[in-house]
Amino acid sequence: MALPRLRSLQARIALFFVILLITVQAVLVLLVSVSGERIAKDRIAQDLLVGERVFRRLIEQSNRQLGDAARILAADFGFRTAIATRDYGTIVSVLGNHGARIDANVVMLADLDRKLLADTLHREQRAAEFPFPDLIALAERDRQASSIVLIDGKPYQVVVVPVLAPVPIAWVAMGFVIDDRVALDLQAVAALHVTFLSERKDGRWTLHASTLPGPLRAALIETDTGGGKAGLGFMNLAGEEYETLAPVLGAGPEGRVVALLQRSLREGLEPFERLRTILLVMTLVSIGMTIAGSVLIARSVSRPVNRLAAIARSIRDGDYSLKAEVEGQDEISELAASFNHMLDGISTREEEILRLAYEDTLTTLPNRAMFLDRLKQAVLTARRTSDPVSVMMIDLDRFKVINDSLGHAAGDQVLREVADRLRELLRDSDTVARLGGDEFAVLLPTGTADGVAIVAQRILRTLEVPIVLEGQPVDIGASIGVACFPEHDDEGDSLLRHADVAMYVAKRANSGYAIYDPRYEEGRQTQLSLLSELRRAVENDELSLFYQPKIDLKSGAIRRVEALVRWMHPTRGFVPPIEFIPFAEQTGYIKRVTRWVVENAVRQAGLWHRERLDIAISVNISTRDLMSNELVDLVAALLQKHAVPAEQLCLEITESGFMEDPARALETLGRLHALGLRLSVDDFGTGYSSLAYLKKLPVQELKIDRSFVMHMVEDEDDATIVRSTIELGHNMGLEVVAEGVEDHAGLDFLKRLGCDQVQGYYISKPLPTQQFVEWLEARRATEQNTEAASA
Amino acid sequence: MTSVRSALMLMLLAGDAGAAALVATVTDAAGAAVPEAVIYAMPVSGKPPAAAPRPAAMDQINKEFVPFVIPVQLGAPVTFPNKDNIRHHVYSFSPAKTFDLKLYSGKPANPVVFDKPGPVALGCNIHDWMVGFVYVVESPWFAKTAKTGAAKLDLSDGEYDLKVWHPWQRAELPAQRVKVGGTETQASFKLDLNPPPKVTPH
Repeated sequence: MALPRLRSLQARIALFFVILLITVQAVLVLLVSVSGERIAKDRIAQDLLVGERVFRRLIEQSNRQLGDAARILAADFGFRTAIATRDYGTIVSVLGNHGARIDANVVMLADLDRKLLADTLHREQRAAEFPFPDLIALAERDRQASSIVLIDGKPYQVVVVPVLAPVPIAWVAMGFVIDDRVALDLQAVAALHVTFLSERKDGRWTLHASTLPGPLRAALIETDTGGGKAGLGFMNLAGEEYETLAPVLGAGPEGRVVALLQRSLREGLEPFERLRTILLVMTLVSIGMTIAGSVLIARSVSRPVNRLAAIARSIRDGDYSLKAEVEGQDEISELAASFNHMLDGISTREEEILRLAYEDTLTTLPNRAMFLDRLKQAVLTARRTSDPVSVMMIDLDRFKVINDSLGHAAGDQVLREVADRLRELLRDSDTVARLGGDEFAVLLPTGTADGVAIVAQRILRTLEVPIVLEGQPVDIGASIGVACFPEHDDEGDSLLRHADVAMYVAKRANSGYAIYDPRYEEGRQTQLSLLSELRRAVENDELSLFYQPKIDLKSGAIRRVEALVRWMHPTRGFVPPIEFIPFAEQTGYIKRVTRWVVENAVRQAGLWHRERLDIAISVNISTRDLMSNELVDLVAALLQKHAVPAEQLCLEITESGFMEDPARALETLGRLHALGLRLSVDDFGTGYSSLAYLKKLPVQELKIDRSFVMHMVEDEDDATIVRSTIELGHNMGLEVVAEGVEDHAGLDFLKRLGCDQVQGYYISKPLPTQQFVEWLEARRATEQNTEAASA
Repeated sequence: MTSVRSALMLMLLAGDAGAAALVATVTDAAGAAVPEAVIYAMPVSGKPPAAAPRPAAMDQINKEFVPFVIPVQLGAPVTFPNKDNIRHHVYSFSPAKTFDLKLYSGKPANPVVFDKPGPVALGCNIHDWMVGFVYVVESPWFAKTAKTGAAKLDLSDGEYDLKVWHPWQRAELPAQRVKVGGTETQASFKLDLNPPPKVTPH
């Protein structure tokens, strides 16, 4: 764990600074080296030039001192007396003796004609020319002359002074041999290596004195410096570089004497070498400190960051209990503080999201997800404890109508009210959830089927109490389906589906609630394959139209029939409309069915019209058909194709069908009416259509729902509904048709109430075309007989 | 100066017949008058008349030889009176006369007799800057140029070789042959001088 961390932040910071440091120091060392050498050379050259001046000054000074000494000596009376004797032996001994007083190594005496009178080095030599006449010439002018000359191949510092008596009577030259001691003395002052060399006339160089150690002297002599060992330059001696200046000190008959002033480049570079060493040490020390410092700083960053990372991991795993430590006031601490704020934010939002995810925002009841979750838990618990668990599906009966007619706000209010009532009614241990739309569900963890039935009835009663919307009491009502664990299923999902099935059964049966029965599933299962089979049925003409006659109660004549679709399934046999029509409506396939029905009905109407049978055909139109113009165009085309008068076709539309999209329905109906078709309101009394709206519809007929007609003879309420509907229809100028007439009493009753037409099994069940025609012809024959008889 | 005058006086006294004056002028290379130059004449034929050389004196005043140059006839005795209140040690290492008068005050007992012709450089062993010259000639006819650079010789008529000498002359000039007779004779010398560096007394 520590190593990759080091590799990342700490190492990167340390690496950066170390590289930076090394680069800077390298440049510095390079600069020191490059400029150091240049500076050293310049400096040495400067030192050499200064050294040369110092050197010359020293020589001059020495000359002057020697000159003074020589002059004092020359002025000595005894010395002068001896010279005046012209006694050679005496003169030589005097020269030797007096020369020794000032440590002269050679003393020469020349007469005014510059002839040598005596020479302490060459005692036998006499009457020769004085070897340095130039010096005498100078001494005549300056009373003293000096130079460094070669005598017998050795360099001497020679001073020439006159012997004054008091005018010059002779010239005395005193020579001081130049040896290593002289060189060392000069070195002590000039701080340079000093070497005295001579070059003879034949070009041979000789080293006479030097401050250099022995081996270097040999090297020096062997070195060919090109420029004759003179001038400013460099000289390599035994592998070491020396910067050199070689002033010529003097020349004589034997050759010239040159002083070699030198300084080792290494000596000049020494301070820079020291500086470089210091830099190197500094570099190493600062690299160490940089690494240590970087690691410390990086650790101060990475440690809290790693702690934050650990907290972030625990947050990822859903643990919000850890908090980042906030210590100090640096950026990391700010980050930690921000991190904590983020943590709070996340946990708050997660609660909110969870709430939203598991709660229905409108009613604040648990939603489907949470309900399923709890259902699953309840089932798991129940499996262990073998306790029963019951699930209820509650669907509001008239919610859609309320929502559509009174608006969503009213719908929402209804849902909230229902939720409140359910909450109030049920125990805390029960779960009430809104699954979506007007669907609610209840989980009763301990309910047995019998107990559940009681709860269901209580719910129904609660929901029967009208809800007051905008001051108006509105009935809602509900249908409840119940499924129980373990008797119906042992899976939560399945239980809910079963409850759903039961709920539909209850709704269809209008029975309030229904407890699941496996048999409910059978019809349902068959529906699944219905769509493809229905499609095939339409294509293969498995469908057929049956006709149920309507009798005109005033005339007793049969002038109208209702065309009803029948499906003869090749294997299943007869399929009742209730099994495929609602399904077709749900899937939208009803439009295709309607098309088939209308086509066949119009074709049949055309046939009958040509046979002068005088029968108008009513066709049931689905709500969906009113939502498009297809039907209008289709009907118009068919009427023309089969040459059928428009009044021979009647379209029956259920009352609720208008309410789906009243404006659109009204528009379609208007166009159908314009074609001259007869329009009828089917199942009148089951919906909520207001009379004002009904008045706007371009219909000619009301058809009272069979549910009222079937029991009207026994049930006073139904009788009242039927009576008032007939009156209402007549008052609005509509014909009223009653269906579901099953006995003579019903027929009589309706006749008394002034109903215009009736339809029902009492008159005839729906018949296939051929049988209907036969039935009609038989009846008409009877009518004629009766008429004839009565006439 | 006194000795010059007395010499002239002597010559005037000696030369009765056909005596004439010779004025010699000495200039240096730049044309400036050269004082303290010794002019002497040697007869072309015959010998100069034998006469007792006159004595001379070389004073030492304020640590200087006064006069700077004294021309004397060969064999002349010269005294060296010390007029200073310190001692002097006069010497000469010149070949013409080598002598030394050890530390003395006042006038030394015996005069120095200059018995060889030629220049004699005088020095003081105590005061190195002191320098004076005695120039010994073999002729009685000699004189020293004054500040004007002129010297006058009274000579009998005749032919002479006229010579000049000065302590700082670079080289000896050749003699000028002059014929003296009747009027004043003029002669001029141009000397190339090489004076030594001046040393201030101390």
